[in-house]
Amino acid sequence: MTFLHFFVYITIIVFLAAVIARGVRIARMPIHLRWDLYPIPHEKGRAHYGGSILEEVDWWTKPRHKDHIGELKVMILEILLLKGVWEHNRKLWFGSFPLHFGLYLLIGGEALAVLGGVLHLLGQQFLFLQPVITVVIWTGCVLGVIGTVIMLLMRIFDSNLSKFSTPSHYFNLLMLGAIYVTGILWLSGDQGFAANLVGFYAGLVSPSVMPALPAVAFWHIGCALLFMFYLPFTHMTHFFTKYFTYHSVRWEDETNRPGDPLQKKLDPQLAQVVTWSAPHVGADGRKNWVDIVTSPAPEIEKETK
Amino acid sequence: MAVAVKSKKKLSIRDFSKPSEQLAHVDPEDLYPLPPPYDKVEEQPGFKRLSEEAKRKYEATLDDTMVVNIPKPKDKEEEDKLVRQFVSGLEKLFSPENNWTFLQPLTLSMEHCARCQTCIKDCPIYEASGYNDIYRPTYRSEILRRLYFKYVKGGGGWWKKFNNGDIELNWTLVSRLLELSYRCTLCRRCAQSCPIGVDNGQISHDLRKLFSCEMELAAKDLHEKGTIQQLTVGSSTGMNALVVKDNCEFIDEDMEERTGIKVETVWDKEGADVLLIHNAGEFLAWPDNPGAFALILQEMGISWTLSSEIAGYDGVNYGLFYDDVQLARIAMRHYEIAEKLKVKKILMGECGHLTKAMGVVGDRLTQATPRENAMAFLDGVVFSGKLKLDPSRNDFPVTLHDPCNMVRSMGIVEPQRRVLRHIAPKFREMHPHGVRNYCCGGGSGWAIMSQNNFLDWRIQVSGRKKFEQILNAFADEDPGAETPKYVCAPCSNCKGQIRDLFDYYGAKEKSGLYYGGLIELVVNAMVDIKGRFIDWEIM
Ligand code: SF4
Ligand code: SF4
Repeated sequence: MTFLHFFVYITIIVFLAAVIARGVRIARMPIHLRWDLYPIPHEKGRAHYGGSILEEVDWWTKPRHKDHIGELKVMILEILLLKGVWEHNRKLWFGSFPLHFGLYLLIGGEALAVLGGVLHLLGQQFLFLQPVITVVIWTGCVLGVIGTVIMLLMRIFDSNLSKFSTPSHYFNLLMLGAIYVTGILWLSGDQGFAANLVGFYAGLVSPSVMPALPAVAFWHIGCALLFMFYLPFTHMTHFFTKYFTYHSVRWEDETNRPGDPLQKKLDPQLAQVVTWSAPHVGADGRKNWVDIVTSPAPEIEKETK
Repeated sequence: MAVAVKSKKKLSIRDFSKPSEQLAHVDPEDLYPLPPPYDKVEEQPGFKRLSEEAKRKYEATLDDTMVVNIPKPKDKEEEDKLVRQFVSGLEKLFSPENNWTFLQPLTLSMEHCARCQTCIKDCPIYEASGYNDIYRPTYRSEILRRLYFKYVKGGGGWWKKFNNGDIELNWTLVSRLLELSYRCTLCRRCAQSCPIGVDNGQISHDLRKLFSCEMELAAKDLHEKGTIQQLTVGSSTGMNALVVKDNCEFIDEDMEERTGIKVETVWDKEGADVLLIHNAGEFLAWPDNPGAFALILQEMGISWTLSSEIAGYDGVNYGLFYDDVQLARIAMRHYEIAEKLKVKKILMGECGHLTKAMGVVGDRLTQATPRENAMAFLDGVVFSGKLKLDPSRNDFPVTLHDPCNMVRSMGIVEPQRRVLRHIAPKFREMHPHGVRNYCCGGGSGWAIMSQNNFLDWRIQVSGRKKFEQILNAFADEDPGAETPKYVCAPCSNCKGQIRDLFDYYGAKEKSGLYYGGLIELVVNAMVDIKGRFIDWEIM
C-alpha cells in the first residue's frame, strides 16, 4: 500500500466515522417540545399558505394526510437550487449557488468515476462515461471557482459578513477554491483526465492498475482529502444535519393525543432527575420532571401559606 | 424582497465583554420614518432615558433601556460567583436531563450556523433600530455559540478558536447577555429565512431559560408577577377566583344590557362539553371579549364552563417565554383541571401564546384533553348557519394582525380570514401577512412590560414595523378620525401592544384607529342583538 492509499483510506474512514457519529448523536437526542415552524410542506392542501390541521374544528378526530411528495419538492429545490437563499438573500445566492452547485457537480463527476473504476475492475467498458465525467467536472470546477471568488470577496468586503466570520470561513473557501483550481489545472493539462481519474479509483482497490498521474493531480487529490478530513468537525456538516433541522424540528409535528405512541418515548425523559439550581425550580437531587412540575416549588409553597 | 442592510453601528462580537458605560444606543434619527401624520421626529413623544438612579443601582450597560433590573454585584468576588453560576447553567442547558425540552433544536442551532447573515433582514427590531448590530438576530446567538464551544464543547484550543472564534467571559458579558435575551420577541421570523434551519429566536428563549432556571434571574413581569403569581393566587393579573367571578357577573349584566340577550357565565360545571380558558387579562382590559364568547357559546347551544380553580381561569403561560419548568407547571395545571371537570375539549380563548403553550408545546408533557383554538372554533360557528349574521353591520374598514404564535408556530392562518371575508366587507390584508407576518412588537410577554423606559423602546423600536403596517393597510381610506378603522388582533398580548402603540401616538384621535378581537366582529354582525356591539364611543 502506498502513502496515497493510506491517506485516502484514512480520510474516508475519518470522514464516515465522524459524520456517522455526529448523525447518531443528533438523532439520539431526546424528543423535544413541539417547535414547528410554518409553512410545513407535508400539510396537504395547506402548505402553499402555511396552514396546518389545527385549522380544523375538532382536528383530533380528523385523519391526517401527509403530502410526502410536496415535502420532497421543497427539499429538492432547497438542496439543489438553494431556494431559501434565493428568496431571502439574493446577493449571497450569486456566490453561494455556484459554490454549492459546483461542488455537487464535482461530487457527481467523482461518483461517475468511481462507477467507471468498478466497471474497469470488472473488466467492463467504461469509455462512454469518460466525456460525461470530463464535462461534469469541468462545469463543476468552473462554477466552483466563480462561487468561491464571489464568496471570498463578500466575506472580506461586506462588513455584514466579515464581522461575523471566523478564520475558518476564509480557510474553508480557500480550500474549496484550491480544489476547484487544481481540478481545472488537471483537466486542462491532462488529455487522459477522465481515464486517469477512473484508473485512480480502480487503483485504490487494485494498486497494479493505478495510472501514472500528473503532479497537479496529487495537489488536487491532496486538497480534496484534507478538506474531507476536517469537514466533519465544522459547521459545514450542515450538508446533512440540515435534514434534522428541517425534519426533526421545523417540520416535526407529531401529535400526542390519547392513544398516540409518542408518550411511551416521553415517559423516560420525564423520569430524569432535574438539577437546575434556581430556588423556584425546587430541585433536590432526587425529584424528576414529573415530581417537579406536578408539585409546587418551595418558594411557591411559602407564598401560599 | 427585504431591503439592503447597511449597518450603522459597528460592533464586533468581542466588544460585548469590554466594560463601557453603554454598549449600544439608538437615536430617534436612526428610526425609519413612519407614514404621515407620524413622520415628523420632532412631533413624536420622544424617547425617555433611563434614570441616573436606575443606572446606579442596576446593570444597565447594554443599551438605552432595561428589563430585568439586575442588581450590581457588591464586589469582584460576587461577580466571579455569578459568572461561575452562569457557566454551570450553560452546562445544564446542554444536558439532556435538564433541557431535554429543547436540547436537539438548540444544539443544531449552535453547531451549524454558516454566519451567512441571511436571517438578519427579516428581524423587525434590527431593521427598526437603524440596523444596530446589537439587535441582529445573529449577535446574541454568536455570543452563546462562542461560549458553547469554549465551555461546553471543551477547551479554548486553537482549533475551536479558529473554527468558532473566541470571546472573553466576564460579568460584563453575563449581565449584558441576560438583558440582550430580552431584546428579541421570539417571533421566529428570522428562523423562517435561515437556509440551514437555525432558530435565533429559540436561542434567545433558551438563554432566558438558563438565567431563570439556574440563576433565578428573569423579567419580574414574567416570573414573580407572572408565573409565580398565577400558580399561587390563580392569575398573573393578580385576580383571585372571587374577583374574576365578580367581574364575570358584571360582564354578563353588561352583555344583556347591550345586546338584549341574557347571558350567563357558567362556572365549574362537571361534564360540560367545553372548558373555556381565556387569557385573564381579557376580563380586566377587554371584557367584551369574554362576554362575546359567553354569548356565542350560549347561542350555539354548546354546554360549556369556566373553571375557578387556581390558574383555571387564566390560560396565560409566560413559562413559554423564559422557563420550561414554569411552562410545564402551568400547562399541567390546565390539563389536570380539564380532566377533573371531565370536559370533552378545552376551547382556548383569543390569545396566541396561550394557544401555543396549551395547544402544542405542552403536548409533549402528557396525553391531555384535546384543545381547540378560537380561530377554528369561530370558523365553525360562522359557517354553521346557526347564527343569523349581517355583514353590513361591520361596514367599516378592517385589517387583520396575525399573532406569531398562532400563525408562524401553529399554522392557524385561514379560519380567521374566512370569517373576516364573510362578515367584514371592507376587510383588507396587511403586507406581509399570514406566516410571514410581523410581530406586534410586544411578543414574548413584552406587552405587559413597561418598567423603566421599556415602554418607549417597545413602541418606537420593536412595534414600529407593526404600526407602519397598520397605517399602510388603511392608506386607501380617509386618513382622519372620522372614519373608524378596526385592527382585528385575535390575541390578548398583541392587543396590549397595539393599545400601547395607539395610545402613544394618539392614533385613535388622529387616525380613527381602533382594535379588538375577532369574536367581537362576529357578535357585531349578529342580527339578533339589539344595536351595535362594537361601540366606538367606549373603545
Ligand atoms: S442563523 Fe441561518 S441565516 Fe442566520 S447567519 Fe446563521 S446560517 Fe445564516
Ligand atoms: S425571533 Fe424575531 S425578534 Fe428575535 S431575532 Fe428573530 S426576527 Fe428578531
